[in-house]
Amino acid sequence: MIDRLRRTAALVALGALAFAPLAPARAADTLKIGFSVSETGALAAPSIFDRQGYELAAEELNAKGGLLGKKVELVHYDDQSTPSTAVSLYQKLISDDKVDLLLGPYSSQITAAVAPIVDRAKLAMPAMDANPSGYGTHPYVFQAIAQTPQYMAPLMELAAKHGVKTVALLSQNSPFPSALAAAVKSAALGHGMKVVFEEAYPPATTDFGPLVLKAAAANPDLLIGATFVADSEGIVRAAKSQSFKAKMYAFSVGPVEPEFAKALGPAADGVYGNTLWFPTLATPGNADFVKAFNKKFGRDPDYHAALSYAALKLLAQAAAGVGSLDQQKILAWLHGRTVPTVMGGFKIDDKNIQTGFSSYVIQWQGGAQKLVWPEQTANAKPVYPHEGWH
Amino acid sequence: MLVTILTLVATGVLWGGVYLLMASGLNLIYGVMKIVNLAHGDFIVVGGLLTLTLFELHVNPLVALPAAAVLTFAVGALVERGIVERLLGSGNGELRTLLATFGLSYVISNVGLLLWGAQFQSVPFLEGSVHVFGINLPENLLVCSLVAFAFAGAVHVWLTWTMSGKAVRATSQSAIGAAACGLSIRRIRLIAFALGCAMAGAAGSLTITLIPVQNSSGGPLTVLAFTVIALGGLGNYVGAFLAAVILGVAEVWTSYQFGSDAAAAVVYILFVLILVFRPQGILGRAARV
Repeated sequence: MIDRLRRTAALVALGALAFAPLAPARAADTLKIGFSVSETGALAAPSIFDRQGYELAAEELNAKGGLLGKKVELVHYDDQSTPSTAVSLYQKLISDDKVDLLLGPYSSQITAAVAPIVDRAKLAMPAMDANPSGYGTHPYVFQAIAQTPQYMAPLMELAAKHGVKTVALLSQNSPFPSALAAAVKSAALGHGMKVVFEEAYPPATTDFGPLVLKAAAANPDLLIGATFVADSEGIVRAAKSQSFKAKMYAFSVGPVEPEFAKALGPAADGVYGNTLWFPTLATPGNADFVKAFNKKFGRDPDYHAALSYAALKLLAQAAAGVGSLDQQKILAWLHGRTVPTVMGGFKIDDKNIQTGFSSYVIQWQGGAQKLVWPEQTANAKPVYPHEGWH
Repeated sequence: MLVTILTLVATGVLWGGVYLLMASGLNLIYGVMKIVNLAHGDFIVVGGLLTLTLFELHVNPLVALPAAAVLTFAVGALVERGIVERLLGSGNGELRTLLATFGLSYVISNVGLLLWGAQFQSVPFLEGSVHVFGINLPENLLVCSLVAFAFAGAVHVWLTWTMSGKAVRATSQSAIGAAACGLSIRRIRLIAFALGCAMAGAAGSLTITLIPVQNSSGGPLTVLAFTVIALGGLGNYVGAFLAAVILGVAEVWTSYQFGSDAAAAVVYILFVLILVFRPQGILGRAARV
């Protein structure tokens, strides 16, 4: 009997212990900023950069006395690269954790999934969704990245300057690349080029041999792909093995990742890509950002990290600017000006679409990424035409 | 035109070789144990990522292949003894092993995440091309396919001609009968499962030189492997060979003629047609009781 009593008492005590952390531990002097990242699943690689960018920005804010006189505390969860999980996490951030500010998750799909809840909570959220279609219908979600149609605009400018006349356009059949491919096509026509071959392939494609064979038959000056990492590598491999002879090869996502050259070796050399950010950019605070990021995380930041770092700084600057957490005023503050960030000047239009900073053209040269365009920011000269496969 | 046709058929057959090796391990495990290892694709990924790590230490992928096979053999053996064997004896063994291997696939892919991160990774290996009869064939695909055919062929020879291979096949035909003849069923199941995983690991070493792989690529690879063996007849090795080659050629050919979207569909169209008209697979025997 006593034994049982003792056991019950122990259980109750254990139970109390287990629930203790759930009791409100919210100190009045902290300001909570919530978001979800894809710590696991298919989107983990870029998404973890996002989290680290947010963390560095929060640390720097706290080092300078926090925000609105309070210490910034980040509250974040793993959405497992799944939109439905992200939806319940943002719900939790809003109603359980009662965060003061929200930051966006990674990827267009996940952003689109959480946007309606963010609107309902009336919290201004910077978003990493490049497609402009979702903004405008979500008054509280604003774009903190360059919009999709702008991604390859500078690249097409460079191609035109090189004298490219004919284009073969390959694109992955999913929202971001499809929107990008449409923009590339109209840019090509705008520059007076001819699109001699055009085909979309499904995301699961692994063998690009037949596709590249057909593109080669059209004999284009420029082979351009609206791609992600895996497909851009597949296309380069197929092009090399078939001794494709274009004057210029360019891909959207792919060449910007260090894995691109690791996977392709010397075949990566000469391939063009684009990026929204580069470590050598002379934007305000950029050199310090690269140094601090490297020191804190032991690796170089990529453009995702720079984007999220800029996004949190931006939101904090707006809150500090209006002197409160009044979300309407924060949005109004952001609409009224161009804000300098590590990405370049941030600016949103009346549909919450970012129209300030755009993208930059890179090229792999001698095993390293070089920034080759626009000319005034470049740290190397573009190599054209392609020197043949090594 | 002839050159194009030749290129397409040859490329298709070569991809078939890689598909065959991906599927053979799954087939072996199904044949002997009647369970579908849903973590099969993840074993392929682990084999591939291990090859990447070794490649960074300047080890040739073909040398890394045995290492990947040994590692996945060991992991497979642990999984068989630790999980599968314990579930087989109980009621609903097949369903429970299905669930267990499904869970295992998450464990493996997230361990992969911790070890290798989530980036798409690939190994630059023989990126040139070979010119035969006026056609260009990617060197890496040629070599990988030959190795895959050789590996799958060796396992087939082992199963057909050696005493231990015959014991494995006997077990796949009738576990009770094999046990009655004095074969150690437990040991054969262990070998079959571990060997199946080793074949997945070996396939991974080749796959990562052909296509980029990330920690979560396992699911689609499992589906691909399963499609090949379902087409060929579950547990049927010659059928899987035919199915892999048919799949490779059909995919490459459709991609060229009708576009890549159609190529993605053709696998499943073939699959559905086979299920409707020949549910036992190309060479599978009709179900026995």
